[in-house]
Amino acid sequence: MKAMTQRMTQRLHLTHPGHFVGGLILWSIWFVAAYGGLSVACAVVPPDAARGAFTPINASLLLMSLLTVVLIAALAWGCFREARLHRARRHFNAKLSAWLYLFSALAVVFVSTPMVGLPPCL
Amino acid sequence: MTTINREVTPQDPQDLHNDLHEVWGNPRGLKALTIVNHTTLGLRFMVTGVAFFLVGGILAMLIRTQIATPDQNFMTPEIYSQVTTMHGTVMMFLFAIPILEGLAIYMIPKMIGARDLVCPRLTALGYWCYLFGGIILCFSMVLEMAPDSGWFMYTPLSSSEYSPGLGSDFWLLGITFVEISALSAGVELIVSILRTRTEGMALHKMPIFAWYILAMALMIVVGFPPLILGSILLELERAVGMPFFDVAGGGDPLLWQHLFWLFGHPEVYIIFLPAAGVVSTLIPVFAGRPLVGYGWVVFAVAVMGFISFGLWVHHMFTVGIPQLAQAFFSAASMLVAIPTAIQIFVWLATLWLGKPRFQLPMLWIVGFLVIFVCGGLTGVMLALVPFNWQVHDTHFVVAHMHYVLVGGMLFPLMAGIYYWLPLFSGRMPSETIGKWGFWLVFVGFNATFLIMHWTGLLGMPRRVYTYDTGFGWDIFNLLSSIGSFVMSAGFAMVIIDIALHFRYGKPAKHNPWKADTLEWANSMPPSAYNFVSLPAIETRHPLWDNPDLPRTMREGKHGLPTISNGRREMWGTDPLTGKLREIIHLPGNSWWPLFAALALAVVCISLLLRWYPVAGVGVVIAFGFILRWSWENGAHPAAAPDARVKAGDPPLHSRTMDGPGLWAMTTAMIANGSFFLSYLFGWFYLWTVSPEWRMPDESPLSLVGLCVAGVAAILGAGLLEKAIRGLREKNDKGLAANLYGAALLGAVQFGLVLWVLLNANLAVTQTTHDAVIMVGLAYALLHSGLGAVMALLQGMRVGYRFVGAHAPFEPLVVTYFWRYSVLVFWMLVGALAILPRVIGS
Repeated sequence: MKAMTQRMTQRLHLTHPGHFVGGLILWSIWFVAAYGGLSVACAVVPPDAARGAFTPINASLLLMSLLTVVLIAALAWGCFREARLHRARRHFNAKLSAWLYLFSALAVVFVSTPMVGLPPCL
Repeated sequence: MTTINREVTPQDPQDLHNDLHEVWGNPRGLKALTIVNHTTLGLRFMVTGVAFFLVGGILAMLIRTQIATPDQNFMTPEIYSQVTTMHGTVMMFLFAIPILEGLAIYMIPKMIGARDLVCPRLTALGYWCYLFGGIILCFSMVLEMAPDSGWFMYTPLSSSEYSPGLGSDFWLLGITFVEISALSAGVELIVSILRTRTEGMALHKMPIFAWYILAMALMIVVGFPPLILGSILLELERAVGMPFFDVAGGGDPLLWQHLFWLFGHPEVYIIFLPAAGVVSTLIPVFAGRPLVGYGWVVFAVAVMGFISFGLWVHHMFTVGIPQLAQAFFSAASMLVAIPTAIQIFVWLATLWLGKPRFQLPMLWIVGFLVIFVCGGLTGVMLALVPFNWQVHDTHFVVAHMHYVLVGGMLFPLMAGIYYWLPLFSGRMPSETIGKWGFWLVFVGFNATFLIMHWTGLLGMPRRVYTYDTGFGWDIFNLLSSIGSFVMSAGFAMVIIDIALHFRYGKPAKHNPWKADTLEWANSMPPSAYNFVSLPAIETRHPLWDNPDLPRTMREGKHGLPTISNGRREMWGTDPLTGKLREIIHLPGNSWWPLFAALALAVVCISLLLRWYPVAGVGVVIAFGFILRWSWENGAHPAAAPDARVKAGDPPLHSRTMDGPGLWAMTTAMIANGSFFLSYLFGWFYLWTVSPEWRMPDESPLSLVGLCVAGVAAILGAGLLEKAIRGLREKNDKGLAANLYGAALLGAVQFGLVLWVLLNANLAVTQTTHDAVIMVGLAYALLHSGLGAVMALLQGMRVGYRFVGAHAPFEPLVVTYFWRYSVLVFWMLVGALAILPRVIGS
């Protein structure tokens, strides 16, 4: 497991500044998918309004959000880990990426919270 | 030790200056129109921006005069609508963005230790497009034909049915013309920051201002294309009758709002970020210590750059979007408070831990902090959906917007202008007149817009030309109007101060504010080449750590101090580490940018007047000028025919496979991709949402024809890839044949797409479906045609020996374009021809 994690982090080059935008790009893709998916689902298969938030649309959106959070949080953890191993430029890059991943994960959680309580198509 | 001396032999600074000036110096007289130098063009952008600010300011005073008291008839409703529309348009598009671009164009090379921006002719083209577009747009006021649908031009109010005159056309064509300028600046600022920083300036050592400008430029590149697409669609609807926003034909007016705000909300941050960059630059200087939390500021800038694209629907909370979707955008709108707060706490902490000097620029910074925090708080209020519904379209929103934009952009801009004034002119401003100017603006601004919040909360709607007495708005409107005139007096004082200082200001000492960044290593005012020699940097604060650096730079003790072969040269460095990679040679002064912009102005005016044949000729001429411009590159006699460099120096960029042109092409394709994705968004949006959308039972497009065209494109790209593989191995055998082959296949693709289009019998004025397909195929035609021409020209350049194993760079740039074209062509085929067959109507 440890060896696999190491291989993964090596392949991901977590000290590369490309990761500055990695979490935010994942957040953006999730955001577009959530908004676009909601709009399409409401146009194609609108659920009964009486069901409130307990609809397949909410469940699907929440599941997608959960997977996104797990992915971004894992990348944040990897970057924090990598930052400890380096100094100067690489440390700066990995640490900054880690915080940006963490923010992105929290942003997914925060923006998806209304999925728990609001009906999707009203 | 902060610098590495590359050339230790001291040389006479005057001799070095004379040599550099001979190559870099600006011509005078008529030839001054050919200047491509960033210092001159940055100043031209800023001066032109100030001129448009005065126009916008006069319009604001007219507005405040009209609504100072109830039942006024100082202006007719028609003129009032034109004045409010033009005030917003001029301030947003012709003042705020261009003046900040101008500041970035002026400052960035100086701050990162470069001699110019990486695409100087593009800077010049951008300036001329801005100037001509702005003049065309403002000329509409002289003709009393100005746009009158509000600065966001909502459809159907701006459509031909409700705005039958030329006003909307002036807006759509003029703004699109000006946006060429913004995109040009965006592309070259990104590439310059990433590839031309001086030796050793790794990403984490960049001046903080460069981070802000990098984010701003990336946002321009991604954010402006949706509006360009929207403008093209609306102009096509108005001119030709393609019903993109007309419900009866299958369109949807809300598509305009989506496209506009996909641009419009990020634009607020495009304006705010460079201004915040000024704040983050000035506060450490006047606090006398490094910025607390440099990394946190970079974090905040990155977060803002992205999150700001996820807020656009908060301008559309009242249009009937599901509550859950509104909640997404409400939450995202609140999220943006986090990076903003981080920056504010960083600034406060820096002041707290330093020893602040409250000189003139700092007054404007403090004014900014007060006003912007208030504007941010009302922003959080507006992010809440129920409150937003209550104050929608009232003066509360107008007041909030001015607190954010004037507080967030204009105050820091004024701070920056006062701060860099000694650099511009070599003289200091008057503290007394400057302070008077500040206080008048500060008091006048708050008197105008703080009170306007209350007028809004009392229910006064925006954009009404007059109102009856008795609503309780009278006194507040009068006070706001008085405040606005006080503010205008303040700006007049500031302008007088700045104008007088050029003659009467005290000569500035070197580095008068004791700053840390490289721009203060320039002479004051700066020379056309910026630095005699380019230093190697080891810290974020080169002038604090080595105060002697400006002198050693002037004496030519660092990199590239001498002119070789009459070329304009500077370092090309690794974007991450700042290690030297190549010598970038830049083009000199040129008429082509001006000529191309003039031809585009002819196109713009011809489209306005519906002289379509003239517009067509204008397009061909502009294209010809741009092709000629591109011809004078690389190993061309007017560029760098002789590739020799001094021993120990890296090679010329045109003799490598990784010059900045590749980065510029990639960045331009990001903008192009944003345009394309906006188009796809429009297609799927209308397909899904538009109530009268009619998808035919059978697609009008020949799938076979499109697939064969796509295969031709793939084969052409394959030939280019083969050529590139050869060039990487220094082998140019068969290069010309491969390039001509690609050109031929590009022409085949073009012909096939044209055949598909002509055989589709599209009813483009009858159904939105057909109109959208028409635009998609036109996009494919443009790319296949352009790809063919670019490959053909490269083939010809091989014949002239401008391209080959000795100069392998340009075919790679063309290959990047082909890769993009192939990808989007197949996406287009999938979206327009395959998906409708799979899903059905």
